Amino acid sequence: MGLAFLGRGALVLTLALAVFALVAGSAAAKQGRTRLTASARNALVAAFASTAVASATLVAAFLGHDFSLAYVASHSSRELPLAYTIGAFWSGQSGSLLLWLLLLTGASSAAVLANRRLVAEVLPWTVPVLAGASAFFAFVCVVVSSPFVTAPAPADGAGMNASLQNPYMLAHPPMLYLGYVGLTIPFAFAMAGLLSGRTDERWLVATRRWTLGAWTALGVAILIGAKWAYETIGWGGYYAWDPVENAALMPWLASTAFLHSVIVQEKKGILRVWNVSLVSLAYCLSLFGTFLTRSGVINSVHSFAQSSIGGWFLGFIAFAAAFAALAIIRRLPLLRAETRLESLASREAAFLYNNLLLVAFCLTILWGVAFPIVSQAVRGTPFTVGPPYYDFFLRVFGLPLLLLMGIGPIVAWRRSSLRSLVRGLRWPAAAALAAGALLAAGGAASSPPALVAYTFCVFVLTGIVAEFARGTRARHGVDGDGWVRAFTTLVGRNRRRYGGYVSHAAVVMLAVGIAGSSAYGVSRTVHLQPGQTTSVGRYSLLYVGPSFKRGANHDELRARLALAEDGKLVGTIAPGKNRYHVEAFFSNAAAIRTDWLRAQDLFVVADQFDRDGSVHLRVIVNPLVPLIWISGLVFLVGSLVATWPDAREQRRIARRVAELEALAPA
Amino acid sequence: MSRGSPVRLAVALSVAAALALFLLYTSIAGGATPTLTPSKLGQAHGRVTLSGIVTAPVAGSAESDDGLRFALRDPNGGARVRVVYHGAVPDLFGVGKRIYLDGRLRDGTFVAVPGSLVTKCPSKYVAKKGA
Repeated sequence: MGLAFLGRGALVLTLALAVFALVAGSAAAKQGRTRLTASARNALVAAFASTAVASATLVAAFLGHDFSLAYVASHSSRELPLAYTIGAFWSGQSGSLLLWLLLLTGASSAAVLANRRLVAEVLPWTVPVLAGASAFFAFVCVVVSSPFVTAPAPADGAGMNASLQNPYMLAHPPMLYLGYVGLTIPFAFAMAGLLSGRTDERWLVATRRWTLGAWTALGVAILIGAKWAYETIGWGGYYAWDPVENAALMPWLASTAFLHSVIVQEKKGILRVWNVSLVSLAYCLSLFGTFLTRSGVINSVHSFAQSSIGGWFLGFIAFAAAFAALAIIRRLPLLRAETRLESLASREAAFLYNNLLLVAFCLTILWGVAFPIVSQAVRGTPFTVGPPYYDFFLRVFGLPLLLLMGIGPIVAWRRSSLRSLVRGLRWPAAAALAAGALLAAGGAASSPPALVAYTFCVFVLTGIVAEFARGTRARHGVDGDGWVRAFTTLVGRNRRRYGGYVSHAAVVMLAVGIAGSSAYGVSRTVHLQPGQTTSVGRYSLLYVGPSFKRGANHDELRARLALAEDGKLVGTIAPGKNRYHVEAFFSNAAAIRTDWLRAQDLFVVADQFDRDGSVHLRVIVNPLVPLIWISGLVFLVGSLVATWPDAREQRRIARRVAELEALAPA
Repeated sequence: MSRGSPVRLAVALSVAAALALFLLYTSIAGGATPTLTPSKLGQAHGRVTLSGIVTAPVAGSAESDDGLRFALRDPNGGARVRVVYHGAVPDLFGVGKRIYLDGRLRDGTFVAVPGSLVTKCPSKYVAKKGA
């Protein structure tokens, strides 16, 4: 009862502080009252502290097995290992919303404290916007879905869902929420810029790292989720276009578009309406995912609560979208472009095409996700669009995007002549055509889309390598530095640009992995008695027999298989099933053997064990899947390079802000 | 974007192209399949996604020639349909579980597409009992 009282009290305090920050902050910003603004800002920071107390209380309840809290009783048990007992915090609806609130108030506090000098006029309006979002989540945690509801305590809890007892579960949800929450910050600064009438590039400068951070977190979370699905669900795939997966992909695509288009606004002063619209879209889509998972309106392989929480989220999304639309319309005259697009063959035009493709793909996915709702409303029967729909549009929009990734860095700002374009593109194009011809000769033409994707990938990679080589050579020539020093200086002085190229390389690896595993995978289903053998590709599997082992909180049933590659014994693998004691659930334990040299996986699932000791196996050879996971690491490196603090850039930003301050109307 | 800018033209053309592609896809390729419960299956023609709750008895094996045989009922009603399925069976399959599978109704039995069975993954946000 004590912990419940403390947790509930802390959340009520968070709600009160957020509402105060919203009301007082709005009044202060409108009336220009500096001390009241500071007070609202402090209330927002205090809201973070009280949410941290509520979160610590919930963690303490889990660690102390306080089953008088219904949430703790239904998501943990005494047998649950320590790491999962802590992770149980976000394994259900109420706790995951509390985690969201904790990250939101934390990020909001950090953003307003870090930018208090940089955007002095915009900040007073940023506080109430962030406070409004925090107040909504605090309200949901207090009134609609509280993790501190009490009930008669059972002797033991119900335990954690078996499919959640996985190390990826400890990383995936916090990373995902970090991405969702991170998108609140640029949205809040954009809205504050509109509300204050300061529609120049200061809000972009202030939130550049926040946007990059949120985008990185979201991208990494999607890949962690894909790896989790790959290793746990046991169908040999990693992404199934499920609405819940799409819910994370959509804001990532919108924020990818935004990250590119802000460069154009910073350089040329155009696309201002587009950028505030994009950041609003990304924010609304981050909320839309939560609406999907909680409302129960969509049929999905994921289970959802049929709770009233979906209605609250829908209302909040509608409010946020209407608020953003009205703010943009009201400030349209101030958002007029400083210059115009001079040529359709320019860097800014390439960014624009990239944006249109990304947004079109994002909206196509949104349409696919919403299609059951629309068709239910129009025709009375929900129609779903499956993977073929998404795969089709992935090719339609993805392949041109890939091509643009190679062309964009080569095209000059303002205008590119045909001659300079040809000069820049000749080597990447020649390398791509040569690679395409070689691959086609090697049999890759069995899947034309994959062959095209590979050709484009070579084009992009050659362009990236050429960019690094050109820059390093120039620096080596001008400064007389050694090659290594010239390279590090080049990257160090243009972190956003070269970090971006590394991220492009990660996307290329991802594309190679997706195209390869989709087009060239081999699968076989077999029923083996002990002593029998099966072969798939260069692998041979001898079924030795079943084995059983009792673990701490689960039993392990395994099919022991002796594995040979090209006829040479290389070891054993043991796919099987786990049965969790408390939860009485089964989960797959796929055996995955990665050949890093060939970049391919042997993926074996034991679908069924029969009483006579035989086993039904699915043996899948997944080419190039390891590249997908490596691309995640490369993506992270690229993002870190682009985000890493840079004193030189800080000075540039300060100069740019000073210029904008001087230009801004009083 | 200033008046008369080629950007507007590019935006308009791209949006139009995207819409046209979608219309083409949905009208020609017909990528959408209706999701039906057993009570509405009688109205269906062609391939559909069937959704319902597994009821006992569950007989046979998905790996055998006769396949896995069971019945599905409406989540909120009593209508039932017999189902025959071949292919991989997810771990969470069982009596009382909500499942989805693709297939066609043939002579009163729903013949599922091999490998199309998916169970609802009770990963998170599961409704409280009795809710």
